[in-house]
Amino acid sequence: MTDKTTNEKQKSTRKGVSRRRFLLILGGGVGALAVGAVAAGPTLVREGRLAMNTLFLTGDAPGTAPPKAPFVWFQIDADNTAHLYIPKIEMGQGIHTALAQVAADELDLAWETVRVHQGDAERGFDPALIFTFGSTSVTALYQPIREVAAALREMLRSEAAAQLNVAAERLVPVGSAFMVREEGGDNLLEPPITYGQVVAAKQGEWKTPETTSRLKTSAEFRYIGRSIERVDLRDKVTGRAVYGFDARVDGMKYGAVARPPRYGATLKRAAAGTAGSLPGVIAVVIRDGFAGVVAETRAKAHAALAALELEWEGGTNISQAEIEAMVSIPAQGGTLIQRVGDVEANGGGTRVEAAYRVPMASHAQLEPQAALAEVDGDSVTITTSTQSPEITRDRVAAALGIDAAKVRVVPAYIGGAFGRKTGIDVGAEAAILAKGAGVPVHVGWTREEDMMYGYKRPPAVNSLWASLDADGRVTAIHHELASADILLNPDIGAPILGRILGTDPLAAGGSLILYDFPNRRVVYHHTPIPVPTAYWRGLGSFPNTFAIETFMDELAAAAGTDPLDFRLRYKPEGALGDRFERVLNAVAEASGWRRTPTDGRARGLAAIYDRGTVCALVVEASVENGQIRVHRAWCAVDPGLVINPDGAANQVQGSIIMGLSSTLKERFTVENGMAAAQNFNAYPLLTLAEAPTIEVIAINSGDEPVGGLGEPVVGLVPAAVSSAIFALTGERLRELPFTLA
Amino acid sequence: MQLTINNQDYEVAADPDDMLLWVIRDTLGLTGTKYGCGAGICGSCTIHLDGEAVRSCITKVSAAEGVAITTIEGLAMLSDDGEEVLHPVQQAFVETQTPQCSWCMSGQMMTAAAFLASNPQPTDEEIDAAMNNNYCRCGCYARIRTAVARAAEIAQEGAA
Ligand code: FES
Ligand code: FES
Repeated sequence: MTDKTTNEKQKSTRKGVSRRRFLLILGGGVGALAVGAVAAGPTLVREGRLAMNTLFLTGDAPGTAPPKAPFVWFQIDADNTAHLYIPKIEMGQGIHTALAQVAADELDLAWETVRVHQGDAERGFDPALIFTFGSTSVTALYQPIREVAAALREMLRSEAAAQLNVAAERLVPVGSAFMVREEGGDNLLEPPITYGQVVAAKQGEWKTPETTSRLKTSAEFRYIGRSIERVDLRDKVTGRAVYGFDARVDGMKYGAVARPPRYGATLKRAAAGTAGSLPGVIAVVIRDGFAGVVAETRAKAHAALAALELEWEGGTNISQAEIEAMVSIPAQGGTLIQRVGDVEANGGGTRVEAAYRVPMASHAQLEPQAALAEVDGDSVTITTSTQSPEITRDRVAAALGIDAAKVRVVPAYIGGAFGRKTGIDVGAEAAILAKGAGVPVHVGWTREEDMMYGYKRPPAVNSLWASLDADGRVTAIHHELASADILLNPDIGAPILGRILGTDPLAAGGSLILYDFPNRRVVYHHTPIPVPTAYWRGLGSFPNTFAIETFMDELAAAAGTDPLDFRLRYKPEGALGDRFERVLNAVAEASGWRRTPTDGRARGLAAIYDRGTVCALVVEASVENGQIRVHRAWCAVDPGLVINPDGAANQVQGSIIMGLSSTLKERFTVENGMAAAQNFNAYPLLTLAEAPTIEVIAINSGDEPVGGLGEPVVGLVPAAVSSAIFALTGERLRELPFTLA
Repeated sequence: MQLTINNQDYEVAADPDDMLLWVIRDTLGLTGTKYGCGAGICGSCTIHLDGEAVRSCITKVSAAEGVAITTIEGLAMLSDDGEEVLHPVQQAFVETQTPQCSWCMSGQMMTAAAFLASNPQPTDEEIDAAMNNNYCRCGCYARIRTAVARAAEIAQEGAA
C-alpha cells in the first residue's frame, strides 16, 4: 500500500502535474456547460519547452504568473453534444482522435455525441501549448486531460443526483447519461438522464469539486486502447477539410515574395520596376529586406516578381563537395557527451570500425507553406498550417511592428509537416503583403520555393570503432559524430547554446550508446553549414540510429553472432533492457527471424529507444536488376500504453515508408550556394510500387503512454536495410541513399 | 468561359492558358483538389475530365471547356432523402483508415475512382501500377493498396 502511494506520488511529480491544483474555468450561456481546465502553473508549456530543450537551460524560463490559459476545453450542450477543443494540431498523426478518446473515456461520453475541434486563441488557448512537435502530444496531455474529464463527470453526477433527488453513488454513467441503480439492487432504472438534460436543468452556478476524482483503471477503459475511427477523415475524404493552403476570405488576393539567388543573400536594393503596371497586379510591396507582389492570381503574382528590380548581396556560393568537407570528423576536438568506464584503457583488442554518412533531405511534405492574412486596423488574423502558432504569432508581430496580443493565429489542418511547418514563416510574408496592399492576402509557396528555401535535414557523419576481445566480447565502443545544426540554426533557436554546450542537443539526439557495453564514449562535433538546416522527422535520431544500429550489425558479424542474439546479449540494463527484449522477441517472432527467408532474400534487424518508446524493425530485402527492393517489414513498438492501436500502426507504417524513401532515393544537394533540385523531377520520392507490406506489433508495457510514435522508427529503416543487404551480398552500405557497387 | 463541375455550371473569367487547378481552387473555391508540385508528378491535383483522371495543375482551363469535370467534392452522391452517400472509394479509404494528413488523398481517390471504373476487378499488380504515380509523403502506400482493393469489393457488392 505504502509502496503504491509513493509510486503514484512520484508519477505525478514526474509529470509535473499536481492533481489538486487544477483550476476549472466555468463558462457558457444558458443550457451549456463550458469548462476550460487550467493546470496550476504553466505546467504544460513548461513541460513542452522542457522536452524541446532537454539537457540545457534556455534562459527562457517559464514565468510564475498565475495560470489563465486552458489546456483543454469541454462544452456540453443541452442537446447532449459534447464539444472537445483540443490544443494540438492535426497533421495526420491522429492526435485529435487519440486525445478525444482519452477525454471521452474518463467523462464516459457516448462516442457519437463527441465533436472534436481545434483549440485556438479564441478559447484562450496559449499558442505555446499548441506547438505540436516531437511526438510529445499524448504523453504530455494524457494525465491532465483524464483528471479534468473525471472532475467534470463527477460534477455532472452530483448535479444529476440533486436534480433526481437520489444519492450520487446510485448514479451509473452509461455513455453521456446516467442511470439510477435501484435501491439495494443492481438493476438500472429507466429512463436515463442525459448529460445534456442535466446541463439544461441546472440552476445557478456550477461548483468545481474539492477533491480529485477517481480515475478509471485500465480494465474500465472503453475507448483508450481501441482502434477508434479517426474523427477527421469524413471531412478529409470529401474535400471539406480546410488546410492552410485552402484558407479563403472574401476579397482575398494572392501574394508572391522575391527569393534570393543564394542562401544567406539579403536584399540590398529593390525597386518596383514595371511590376506594378503588369496585368492583374494590385500592389508591389517593398520594405527593408523584402519585396513582394500582390495580384489577382498566384500566377500573375509570381510572374510579376520577374519585373522587380532587385539587388542581392552576400550569401554563399558553396558547393556540395565543400559542404561534405565541412561536415566531417576532425582528427581531434569535439565535445564529450557520454562517458561510461574507460574506453582508452579497454580499447586494445581487435578493432572494428566504420563511418556512415547521411545527406541533406527535403521534408517534401505535400502541402507547401501557406497562410492567409487579414489585417484589421492594428490587428491581424493569420490562418495557416503551422506546428507552432506561437512562433507564427511572434514573427507576424515582429514583421508588422505590433504587439503579439494583436495577432490572432488560427491553426488549420496541416498537409504534412515532419518538422517543416515551423520557422521561415509564411504567415509573416502574408501579413506584410496584406498590410501593404490593404487587402487580405494568401501566400502559398510553390513546390520550387518549398524545396529550395525550406530548411533541410542537417547532413551528418558518424564514425564508430569498437574493440573485441579474443572471445568476441565487446570491451569498448567509441562513437563520434558531426552534424549541421537544428536548434542552433538562428532561425529556429539560440545559436549561443552551441557555445555553451558545444553541441546541438537536438542533432545529438539518439547518439548515446545505450547497449550495455562496459566502456562507452560519444563525442560530438559541431559543424554548421551556410545552408538552412533544422528539424526533420526524428531529428538526430535518424542519422545516429542508422549509424549505431548498422554498426551493431557489423559488430555482431565480427563477433560471429546472430544480430538478434547480439542485441539480446548487450541489451540495456534494467527495465529498459526488458522492454528491448520484448520488442526484439516480438519482431523476431512475427518475421520468422530464426527461419531462413525465401531464396534470394535476406533480413536485417534494428532496434531503438527514443522519446520513451522502444521499437525493433525487421525488413526483408532482395536485389533486383541492381536495385534494392524491400518486400516486407515487421515493426514491434512499445510506447507504454497504446491509445489507438490502428493509429499507432499508421504512424509506424508511415515512418517506415519515409525512412525507406531516404534510404533508397533522397539526396538534397547544393550547387553554387543554392538547391540543385527544384521539384520532384530532380528529387524523386519513394512510390507505392516500391513500398513493402508492413506488419506492426503494438505492445502495451504499462498503464500510461510514455513515448511518442511519430519519429522513433524512421532511423531504423536504413540500418535494417543495410544489414539485410550485407546478409544477402556481403556488401556494407554506409552512405545514404544506398547505391550498390 | 463556361465550366461544368460536378454537374454544376460555372461562368468564369479566366485566361484560356490558366491552369485548371487554380481556376478550380482559387477562382471557384473548390479547395478539395490539392496542389503538390504543379509539374504533373505528385498527383495531388488529380480530377476527372469526362471520367478520365487528369492532372489539373498541367491542364489548361481551355481544355476543360465543354467537358464534364469531376472533383473530389463531386465524388460522393446525394441519396433521395438528401443524405451524402460516399463513393465506394471514399468508403474504402475511411474503412481502412488510410489517410494521414490527407493532402494527397483527393488525388489518390480520384485516381482510384477512374481506374476502378475502367477496371472493376483489378489484380494487386494492376492496383500497384495504377496507383504508382501518386505520391504520399505520409507513407500510406500499404493502406492505399488495401483501400483500392476494398473499394473494388464495395463497388461489386453495391452492383450485385
Ligand atoms: S500538383 Fe499536379 S501533379 Fe502535383
Ligand atoms: S496522407 Fe499525407 S501525403 Fe498522403
